[in-house]
Amino acid sequence: MSDFTNHPVRTIAGKDIADARRDRFILIVTGFIALAALTSLITGAVALSTDVATYNDAKATLLALGKSLDSIAAPEFYPLKLLRGAIEQFEIIGAVLGILAGFRAAVSERGRQTLALIMTRPVKGWQFLAGKYVAGLVLLSTGLLAVFALAALALQLSSGVGLGLGDLSRIGIVWLVASAYVMVFYGLTFILTLWMKRPANALLISFAVWLLVVLVAPQIGDTLDPDNQVAGGVFKQLQVPKAEQDRIKAGYATFETVRNGIEAASITKHFERFSFAVLGIKDTYTGKALGPILVEKQGDFLWIFLTSLGLAVLMIARPINANRLTKE
Amino acid sequence: MTQPAIETRGLSQRFGDFRAVEDLNLTVAEGEVFGFLGHNGAGKTTTIHMLTTLARPASGSARVAGHDIVTDPLGVRREIGYVPENVRLYDTLTTRENLTFFARLSGVEDASDRIAEVLDFLSIEELADRRVGTFSKGMRQRVGLAQAILHRPGILFLDEPSSGLDPMGMKMLRDLIGRLNREWGMTIFMNTHLLSEIAKSCTSIGVLNHGRLVFHDSIDVVMKRYGDEEALEELYLSVVPVNAKGEAA
Repeated sequence: MSDFTNHPVRTIAGKDIADARRDRFILIVTGFIALAALTSLITGAVALSTDVATYNDAKATLLALGKSLDSIAAPEFYPLKLLRGAIEQFEIIGAVLGILAGFRAAVSERGRQTLALIMTRPVKGWQFLAGKYVAGLVLLSTGLLAVFALAALALQLSSGVGLGLGDLSRIGIVWLVASAYVMVFYGLTFILTLWMKRPANALLISFAVWLLVVLVAPQIGDTLDPDNQVAGGVFKQLQVPKAEQDRIKAGYATFETVRNGIEAASITKHFERFSFAVLGIKDTYTGKALGPILVEKQGDFLWIFLTSLGLAVLMIARPINANRLTKE
Repeated sequence: MTQPAIETRGLSQRFGDFRAVEDLNLTVAEGEVFGFLGHNGAGKTTTIHMLTTLARPASGSARVAGHDIVTDPLGVRREIGYVPENVRLYDTLTTRENLTFFARLSGVEDASDRIAEVLDFLSIEELADRRVGTFSKGMRQRVGLAQAILHRPGILFLDEPSSGLDPMGMKMLRDLIGRLNREWGMTIFMNTHLLSEIAKSCTSIGVLNHGRLVFHDSIDVVMKRYGDEEALEELYLSVVPVNAKGEAA
């Protein structure tokens, strides 16, 4: 018992968590994500309630005219679809949270020379680094859990429709993958900050990566997608048969490979594809059972988890450069 | 015959083409207060980094408390305490929380008792539950010293301990170093460029010039040879000549 309490990984992680709780920085950034997510959710809820009101007006008019309600379809209502804006906000700000948390976790130990104090204790380098990783994981995933729980509550209140166990399971799965997604940026920035001569350069590089991976690559992928040029899809609007669609697409196979390659290089796109499918935000997956979606989207899931795991291994396995322990 | 607390043989460190420490042969006996003197950039901190296992030497070997710094770094770390220059610790945590953290990392079983003992020894009980971020330089230095002696190490490494301290703080630190040496039996290895501190605190002295040890003897021998404390300056200048710009030549 006491061995576990005094285990260096636990001790270092516990200290980092206490430190972060005190300085409230993570809390403030997490609060900002929660605010952005709630704003998106409320905007979506307002749009939905307008649709519902329009339907109710039409229904009332038909009933007043003594006509059947069969002529107008009741709007299909999937409350999880309202999370679209929140997920999009999260893709951007969640990554920033990971970068800032990773930077602070490394730079604080360098600047205060506490890294040197820890490394003159009977502690192995990997134990220190694992402690920092565990602390980041606990802090960020707990913060995200609070954001997702708040979003679920707001969803229930704004839609007036109770969320079932299935809905909550889907939100839970997306939270898990979101934690891995944010940890990719945490790990990357931590590694760069600890390895590079000047920590400020590490922050700049991390934000350059963020710009490319979170903003530029997904946008390029979307913009180059021919089917995205018309709302609802070009082929659907022009009512092109499936066989004809395939024949046209075959002529652009190389282009499509490059376009998809750009998208696939972005971990943000993998997170979006996965979460949009699991939450049924994308029409193709709306109302579909969870099992087949998870099977279909296992590629995106593995991409995120393996990247996160790879960075974690890299972070923990690489020895600490003694030159980074010197006076700043 | 007891083994030396610190023993180096041909210890060297390089950063690219720059030779930070070269062929250092040094022995510090158990119970000594050793003052390591040298100009800025002479290689004092680099030497401490190698002896505290923070950096691997480029060549040569060293044993600290009988443990090889390269093959048994954890053995070395169990026996040493280290206070870097300008140590800040964790600002948002209290003194007690900071000390608990370092006590656990050092494997101290009775952490709360040991912390109470150290706080009493350093006369900083009133700082125990205050956040370190609010402390003055002198207070921080004492908390920094507290974290280094919690586990009662046999050897204490201090890197420019009096840097930035006012005369009162320097005297207090000097007294504490003396008590740690006399009452707790610690060997002290202290980097400094203050000649007055060497004269008042140390039992032996080494002078480093551009990475090379150019002088090493007991303070008694120095005093007998050069007469008084003031003459230490004469000694220093005789082994570390300065150029026209006033820099170590």
